Amino acid sequence: MDALTRIVLETAEPSGFFATVWAWLLKTWTSLKLDFINNFVTGNRYKYILKGLGVTFTVTFFATLIGIALGVIVAIIRSSHDKLDDELHPGLGKTVLGILDNISRVYLTVIRGTPTVVQLMIAYFIIWKSSNNKILIATLAFGINSGAYVAEIIRSGIMSIDPGQFEAGRSLGLNYIQTMAYIIIPQALKTVLPALANEFIVLIKETSISGYVGLEDLSKGGDIIRSLSYSAYMPLIAVALIYLVIVMFFTKLVSLLERRLRNSER
Amino acid sequence: MSADNDVLISVKDLCKHYNGGAIKALDGISTDIRKGEVVVVIGPSGSGKSTFLRSLNLLERPTSGSIIFKGEDLLSAKTDINKLRQKMGMVFQHFNLFPHLTIKRNMTLAPMKILGLSAEDAEKRCKDLLARVNLADRIDSYPSQLSGGQKQRIAIVRALMMEPEVMLFDEPTSALDPEMVGEVLEVMKQLADGGMTMVCVTHEMGFAREVGTRVIFMDQGKILEENTPEQIFTNPQNDRLKAFLNKVL
Repeated sequence: MDALTRIVLETAEPSGFFATVWAWLLKTWTSLKLDFINNFVTGNRYKYILKGLGVTFTVTFFATLIGIALGVIVAIIRSSHDKLDDELHPGLGKTVLGILDNISRVYLTVIRGTPTVVQLMIAYFIIWKSSNNKILIATLAFGINSGAYVAEIIRSGIMSIDPGQFEAGRSLGLNYIQTMAYIIIPQALKTVLPALANEFIVLIKETSISGYVGLEDLSKGGDIIRSLSYSAYMPLIAVALIYLVIVMFFTKLVSLLERRLRNSER
Repeated sequence: MSADNDVLISVKDLCKHYNGGAIKALDGISTDIRKGEVVVVIGPSGSGKSTFLRSLNLLERPTSGSIIFKGEDLLSAKTDINKLRQKMGMVFQHFNLFPHLTIKRNMTLAPMKILGLSAEDAEKRCKDLLARVNLADRIDSYPSQLSGGQKQRIAIVRALMMEPEVMLFDEPTSALDPEMVGEVLEVMKQLADGGMTMVCVTHEMGFAREVGTRVIFMDQGKILEENTPEQIFTNPQNDRLKAFLNKVL
């Protein structure tokens, strides 16, 4: 007990109800304060949270970029294979597209069929075991993982566009790539933008498994503090609150985005 | 009779089969479309008339037969179909304007990307055409801000931006409110009067009679009768055609 607490406890009327409540509040406040100091101030432990937050943002941001790039490519391969099947004459182009389509299918099946944490560990302990750049490996692992989900989101967007749009583009003489680039993809992206933003939010939380390969992200930061302070309450609740605030912020952004998109269609 | 070099599109034995021949959407269509003709294709629904029209620019890929457009075989692997489609304008039942682009961009996109027109030239051509269909003030609108009739007039001039040699119309008035049909037919009539070669699938018998130079009657994937509108409407030979006309006239 520190001096303040002792004074409060000694001066409080032992019989009064409000005095008892007051004493309890003070005691709780004091212990929270002590807990806070113990978890975040002592030895600058808050830096684990800050540094971890930075890692979480870095990994999420670059993994999102990789995911979108991969996703767009895979989505275009998959939908092109379906759409061009009728049009392409047998030849090199058709063979290459067929091979790419098969690779894409395997990629989607494997990534969506195995847990992300297992993929992350395979990436770190097997595929890039010679490298020790944890941030890079985690970014790649999460990017490759996200790409599969983004691909299916974008493909659903492409398929949702009225086939008449495609026919109109082609009938004007635009070739397949031009029709995709100027007519189909812009409309598809607009349709799936909320779903893509949602995938980004999911990814933020997914990176919390980075600790499995020893990467000190936000979750791992909280966990390290717990192991130093021997108290679980503060660091874990703090980490949870930070995720919650981030997710609420982006959810709000997404809903604003959706409203704007809806307005522009009128 | 026109000389053979006037033939713009020559269709021979065109077949489109589904399910390995169980369903014959097109069952041996042969006809020639000459420059300046306005060919109107009529027939009951499911007769294959839309499939026939969509085969002409390969939106449907025929199972067998040949389509020769300006001396090039559309079905040959060597043919650049994109090149030939530029010369065949197409107007759809559901307009198919690009909803994310303004009217100007809808019209100038293809000419700028394909023909390499400068922005100024494309805009000039766009304004001229919009003036012809009395929609000059709509140049910066989005398709969703237009009525059905306005959309279809835009769709027609969008196709004209490419300066096609033939225009294909796939039931251009079927999705329109009745009071908007007239304004679209008026534009098509102007086009015909200007000497454009046209192939129209339509249920507008008045248009077929007044503007058409030849009427093709199709049913079950076959051409059952083709003749001048005069003959088709006043002196039909085929029993199926007689029954059809009795119902629609």
